[in-house]
Amino acid sequence: MIPIFRIFLLVLIISGCNKEPDITDEMLGGGVIFDPTFYHPEQFLISYAIPNPTPEQALTPVIIASHGYSATTFEWNEFRQFANSRDDVYVSQVLLGGHGGNYEDFKNSSWRDWQAAIILEYNRLLEAGYTNIHLLGSSTSGALFLELLSGGHFKEKPAPGQVLLIDPIVIPSNKTLSMIHIFGPMLGYMEVDQSAEEDKVYFKYRPEETLRELQNLLNKVRNDLEKGFVLPPGTSLKVYKSVKDPTADPVSAVLIKRGVKTFSGNPVDVEMVDSDLHVYTRLELRPHTQADKQNQINTFNDIIERVLNE
Amino acid sequence: MLKVQFFWKRFYATILPAMWVGVMFFFFGATVYSQERELDIGLRFQKSINLYYENGITLQYSDERLLSKRLFIGLSYVSSRFGTAMGTNAIKQDNIFISGTYMFRPQRSLQPFIRLNTGYFTASYEYPVFDVLPQNSVLISPETGLSYRFGFPLKIGVSLGYNLITGDGRDGPGTLYPLFIQTSITWNILSKTQAYDTNL
Repeated sequence: MIPIFRIFLLVLIISGCNKEPDITDEMLGGGVIFDPTFYHPEQFLISYAIPNPTPEQALTPVIIASHGYSATTFEWNEFRQFANSRDDVYVSQVLLGGHGGNYEDFKNSSWRDWQAAIILEYNRLLEAGYTNIHLLGSSTSGALFLELLSGGHFKEKPAPGQVLLIDPIVIPSNKTLSMIHIFGPMLGYMEVDQSAEEDKVYFKYRPEETLRELQNLLNKVRNDLEKGFVLPPGTSLKVYKSVKDPTADPVSAVLIKRGVKTFSGNPVDVEMVDSDLHVYTRLELRPHTQADKQNQINTFNDIIERVLNE
Repeated sequence: MLKVQFFWKRFYATILPAMWVGVMFFFFGATVYSQERELDIGLRFQKSINLYYENGITLQYSDERLLSKRLFIGLSYVSSRFGTAMGTNAIKQDNIFISGTYMFRPQRSLQPFIRLNTGYFTASYEYPVFDVLPQNSVLISPETGLSYRFGFPLKIGVSLGYNLITGDGRDGPGTLYPLFIQTSITWNILSKTQAYDTNL
C-alpha cells in the first residue's frame, strides 16, 4: 500500500508543477514580437501583393512557401531573397495558423488551424486568377501538404504543379514524442535550446497541447501513407531530405517514397542531402559550413528549375 | 554500407548461433536432469506505441534447474511483415531476440513477471537511395506484465516493454520505437496433463 501511495504522491507532484513557461518580451509568444505578416501581408503573400494579376503575371509560377511547427515565415526568408533576384517566379510566404503570435493562440491551435492558412492562400491565388501554383513546405508543412493530397483536397480545384518537401516530418527523430499522450499532461510544455535571436522567430516553449496535435497529424499522415495514395494528374512531388536530420527522422522520406505514387503510377523523387541540419535550407541565425551553403543553393536552384519546367 | 555488412557477418557468425546453442542446451539438456520441464510455444502480438503492429512466434523454456521454474529462457521473432506491413506500404522490419523471464508466484495461475530481451532489429527500406540510412540495431528491452495459466497447458501473457535503444535515423533505424505492449498466447508442449493450481 505504501509504494502505491508514494507513486500517487509523485504523480501529484509532477502534475502540480508549473505548466506556464517564463516567456519574456524578447521572445516570440510574449505578446510583443509578432510575425511581420500580421502587419504587412502584402510583403509576404502574393494574393495581397498582386491581387489583380495581369494575364502574364497570372501565368507566372507562384511558390507557396510554408514553414514548420513552431516556426514563422522567417524560415523561408532566404529563399524569397534568392527568388527576388529574378522576375520569373513569385514566392508567397504563408504563416501557419496559430503561429507567429501569442503563446496562448499557439497553445489553443489544432493542426487543422495550421493547415487552414495554406488552403486560404492557395484559394485566394486561384480566385485571383493564378494558374501556375506550387507548394514548398518544410518539416511539418510537408505533413500538412501530404494530408491535403491524401484527403483528395485538390479533386475539385486545379492541383499544384510541384509539391516540394524540405525535411518533411512523418517520423520524429526524438522518439519521446511518441509518448506525448502519456506524459504530455504532466510536462505542460517543452523548452527548446536555441539562441536569443532564434527565440524571436521560433517558439522557445512548445505547449504539450500542440505537441499532441503534431503527433495526431503525424499518425494520420503515416496511416495514409501506409494505405498509399496517388497524386492528382499533372502534380509532381519531390522530397529533399537531410541524411542526419536531428528533428525529422530521415526514415520519413522512406515512408513518403513507399506511400505516394504519381498519377501514372511512378514513385516520387527523393534526394538524400548530406547534411546534419533540420530544414537545411535555412542557414540564417545558425552556424553553418560552406557545404551547407552549397546544399542550400543547389536546392534553391533545383526548386526554381522544377517550377519553371512545368 | 561496409559497417552494415560487418554487423550482419558478426550477427550470423556469433550472436545467432549463440542464441540457438543456448536455447537448445536448456531444451535437450533438461531431459537428463529433470522431468519437470515446460516448453511454451505460441504467438506473440506486439504493438509499438504510435507505430506498427509486429507479430510472430515465441517460445519459452523452464525446468527445476532454472530457479525452481521461476526463470524462463525464451526466443522470439516478431515482424511487421505479419502485422502492419501486411498488404500496406509500411516498412518491413524484423526483431529476433532471446529473453530471460522471472516469474513471481510460480505455483499460481496469475503470475506477475519481469523480462529482459536482447537481440537484433533490421528494417528493409528497399530503394537504393536509402542505403545511406541505418537499418539495423541491437535490441535491449525490459518488460513487465502478467501471465495467466489456465487449468490446461494454455498460457496468456500481457506486458509493457521499453526499448532502451531506439533509432533517431542517425545512429539507429528510425522505426525502432521505445514503448510497446505485447500479448503472447502459448501452449506448453511438454505438458503431461498435470493439474495446475488454478488459484489466483
